[in-house]
Amino acid sequence: MARVALEIPKVGLVMENARLVRWLKKVGELVKQGEPLLELETEKSVVEIESTESGRLVEILLQADEEARIGDRIAWLENDAAETPPVPAVPAGAATAHAPATPTAELSTPATAASGRIRSSPAARRLAMQNALDLGHITGTGPRGRVQLSDVRRSIEARPAPKGAAYAASGVQPLSSMRRALARSMTLSNATVPQFFVERAVDWSALRARRASVLVELPSGAPRPSVNDYLLQAIARTLLVLPALNATFSGDSDSTDAVLVAASGTHIGLVVAVENGLLVPVFHDAEKMGIAELARRRSEAVARALQGRLKREESEGATFSLSNLGAGGPDRFTALINPPQSAILAVGRERDCVVAIGGSIHVRPISQLTLTVDHRVADGRLAADFLASLVEVLEGDSWY
Amino acid sequence: MENPAAPTLNDFKQMYRALWRIRTFESQVQRFAAAGEVPGFPHLSTGQEAVAVGVCAHLTREDTLFTSHRGHGHTLAKGADVQAAFAEILGRDGGLCRGRGGSMHLVDAAHGVLGATGVVAGNLPLAAGAAWAAQAKGETTISVVFFGDGATGAGVFHETLNLAMLWNLPLLLVCENNGYAEFTSREEHSKVKHVSAFAAPYGMPANTIDGNDLPVVYAAAGEAIARLRRGDGPYLLECMTYRMAGHFVGDAQHYRSKEERAAMIEKCPIERLKHQLIGRGVAENELEAIGEQARQEVLQAVERARAGPRPDPATVLEFVYSAPSIAAQFRP
Amino acid sequence: MTQTFIEILRRALDEELARDPRVHLLGEDVAVGGAFGVTKGLAEKHGMQRVRNTPISEAAITGMATGAALCGLRPVLEIMFIDFATLSLDCLVNQSAKYRYMSGGQLAVPMVVRTQAGAAGGAAAQHSQSLEAWFTHVPGLVVVAPSSPAQAYGLLKSAIRLGDPVLFIEHKRLYAMKEALEDHAELPFIGTARVARSGTDVTVIAYSAMVRNALEAAAELAGAGISIEVIDLRTLAPLDMATIAASVAKTHRVVIAHEAVQSSGLGAEISARIGSELFDELDAPVTRVGCPFAPIPFAPDLEQALLPGTRNIVRAVRELAG
Repeated sequence: MARVALEIPKVGLVMENARLVRWLKKVGELVKQGEPLLELETEKSVVEIESTESGRLVEILLQADEEARIGDRIAWLENDAAETPPVPAVPAGAATAHAPATPTAELSTPATAASGRIRSSPAARRLAMQNALDLGHITGTGPRGRVQLSDVRRSIEARPAPKGAAYAASGVQPLSSMRRALARSMTLSNATVPQFFVERAVDWSALRARRASVLVELPSGAPRPSVNDYLLQAIARTLLVLPALNATFSGDSDSTDAVLVAASGTHIGLVVAVENGLLVPVFHDAEKMGIAELARRRSEAVARALQGRLKREESEGATFSLSNLGAGGPDRFTALINPPQSAILAVGRERDCVVAIGGSIHVRPISQLTLTVDHRVADGRLAADFLASLVEVLEGDSWY
Repeated sequence: MENPAAPTLNDFKQMYRALWRIRTFESQVQRFAAAGEVPGFPHLSTGQEAVAVGVCAHLTREDTLFTSHRGHGHTLAKGADVQAAFAEILGRDGGLCRGRGGSMHLVDAAHGVLGATGVVAGNLPLAAGAAWAAQAKGETTISVVFFGDGATGAGVFHETLNLAMLWNLPLLLVCENNGYAEFTSREEHSKVKHVSAFAAPYGMPANTIDGNDLPVVYAAAGEAIARLRRGDGPYLLECMTYRMAGHFVGDAQHYRSKEERAAMIEKCPIERLKHQLIGRGVAENELEAIGEQARQEVLQAVERARAGPRPDPATVLEFVYSAPSIAAQFRP
Repeated sequence: MTQTFIEILRRALDEELARDPRVHLLGEDVAVGGAFGVTKGLAEKHGMQRVRNTPISEAAITGMATGAALCGLRPVLEIMFIDFATLSLDCLVNQSAKYRYMSGGQLAVPMVVRTQAGAAGGAAAQHSQSLEAWFTHVPGLVVVAPSSPAQAYGLLKSAIRLGDPVLFIEHKRLYAMKEALEDHAELPFIGTARVARSGTDVTVIAYSAMVRNALEAAAELAGAGISIEVIDLRTLAPLDMATIAASVAKTHRVVIAHEAVQSSGLGAEISARIGSELFDELDAPVTRVGCPFAPIPFAPDLEQALLPGTRNIVRAVRELAG
């Protein structure tokens, strides 16, 4: 006999609170998977919630008219499902009364007390909730079976068994936590951020020349400035000129609390492809750094990112990101904004193109720049002005 | 006071007014305490006014004064604002201490009233410290501390006598010996009948006088204070007096006989001074007018005090430290 | 140039006496150097009027320091042993602590009471106590406990300049400790703790002599792969919860260590505040290391068996981190 917890599911894209309207089943009744179990009222409507399990409803933890959040445990079902990790209810004194009091008995005592509450530390609970993990499925190694941070962390690293289902045939690949995080943020971006795109070509001739002369005079051992370093400085300087774009949208468009929060400085992320995912080190106050310093910081940060050793403060705080897929990349591409940022610049590969200048034909090294912008922060005009100013800096000669 | 050694009739009339000021103030405290407007336990100095007035007549604003839980009289005699003092006793925001001290803890720093305490003898050494500060700064100001005879049972009383003599401090210790400490008489407190006897072992000059005779108090205090200002060291002045009200308002005074009380009222310091001044040619109705003026002054101040606002509860945590957040505000 | 705790305290007092004519020292034997020699030579240098001997009258001299502070001096009173501060309690608690409040802000008591605490081998129960918790319980008093000579230098100067009555609690076993002062070091703010050693696994909060024990424990634990962060409280009242919070948010586990009796000691207050303000950061209950509930015995064998030290901290951290 296994006990399974039923929880408040997420209904729809955005759901913060819910109210249990009424139970459609009583304690002691049998429930089949997929059968309507209760009525839940969300901000948008009242919905029927189906049971995710079959079994007998043995305990109700949330009463009608009570408020609940996503993930809150609301009931216990008992069933015979073998795959569900067994979490038997152990009365508080049972371990000492019936089991020999050996040291190992402590460790294997489940963290669940008779009432269904799991023994866990506050920090562990919080981490589990942040990662959508069920505490009941985590073995606690703390005193009296308490679930601790290390236990939750271990569960995050390990590949989690999907609830109630064995592994299917090969070809189904569980996601790493980084990939899951990416999936979450890209889904969020696509679903909630109204993005539009503006394009412009940039002529690299002047920058090429500049870079060539810099590389010649470069002291040995100093990091070589890359195009990305110049792009970072150029973006920072352009954000200073057009600070309206250097802000993030915060709140709900439906409410009067929606605000635009100006960034505290020009903090720009650089998208770095790492094994199995992406990391985005952030360069804070980028406009204060010269090309040489940017080159140094960029090369150190990329090296750390490739080793998965970015510090927390290096990954946060950007309003704008830069994505350059390099020489092997596409001619042009559109990048999705990384929430909560407001913009991202995609840089297509450098190609020699035929361009008309002053009526004559020239061949110039060109890239397509595609700027994605959060329409809640800026309109087309601002985006276009930004791109124009950016290109002016990139094609100019005022680097520092 | 033109010449402390030779007070004029005018000087005595001022002091007469001061006696009435205190007497009225105390009766108003009694009145409003009975009506339930005074929180806590006020202690009245009714009948002991001559000690306060006679001593404080010699003090400047810069001289410092410390007193006991029975200190309204000393506080007023030193020059504290009557309205602010009464407001403090009522627990109002306009009180001397913004309602945080009350009857037993009146402070008026601007007039040199540095505090009162309900911990008997607790501030005797503080007064010695104030005297030390004056000495250390090379000033000619002095410090005066008033206390009851019960305080002489405390160890710190003796420690203070010893230290004051050792350091030759400009400290005047004035003991109001009213024969009672709280609810028990002096005989039950000590085999030593007169407090002034405690001074001799420490080498300190002392005297015992009739504390209800204002000119006597005035003269003795003047002599003692002149010594202090000359730098001749501390002095202990014992003033025999009598408490006309109970130990505190509400005290039913079962512990004294009716005859005892009646006899003492004959020795009321105000009555005595009045008769002395009439004997020196002052018209009775002039004295009555002075008394009435003092009474009116106090009654009006009391009314203004009663009309004042109560303290704002939101400010209850103010004044604990030098700054709300020491770390934030302090810069060495 | 390294100096002992005592020499550095003397230097701080010397400099403050020179800097501010309002500063006066008083206490039993201070004019001839004091029981531990802290004030040696200061009376000769600054005059017997600035550095004054008193008779054995703790109650009166505490009162005098308070009264003088009310009138514009900046007294620094020496109470030979914190065990004797019991005799100063009426003044400290009923007068010094409360003057500013009870006068509605009219008066202040800018005084420092220097005293020393702790067991040092054979001094027995009436000369070995750590009574700081009593004073942290009185609104209006500031309580400071330096953990090293350099800390003592800055904290004593800051205490003298603060403007509130400060209990400055030194420790017998630290008196011989040597340290060199940094040139032009900034004076520390009263009310701020410092991170004596950075770490990631467990936060150890300590003060006074226990900081040294905590740092010893840190070195030993590092060998076993456990990294502890040591916080030196410096000021015991008011507490710097911000520094504590930043550390607990990092490590999620806390040990509080003090030499004083554990029961109702300062560790209990800190533990309660962490439990109530930082609950969600905790991965385990807060642990305290303190002295068991008994007077300090005379015989060294008994005294050592009782007093908490480095091994107690190591054990507590191991239990938490394991």
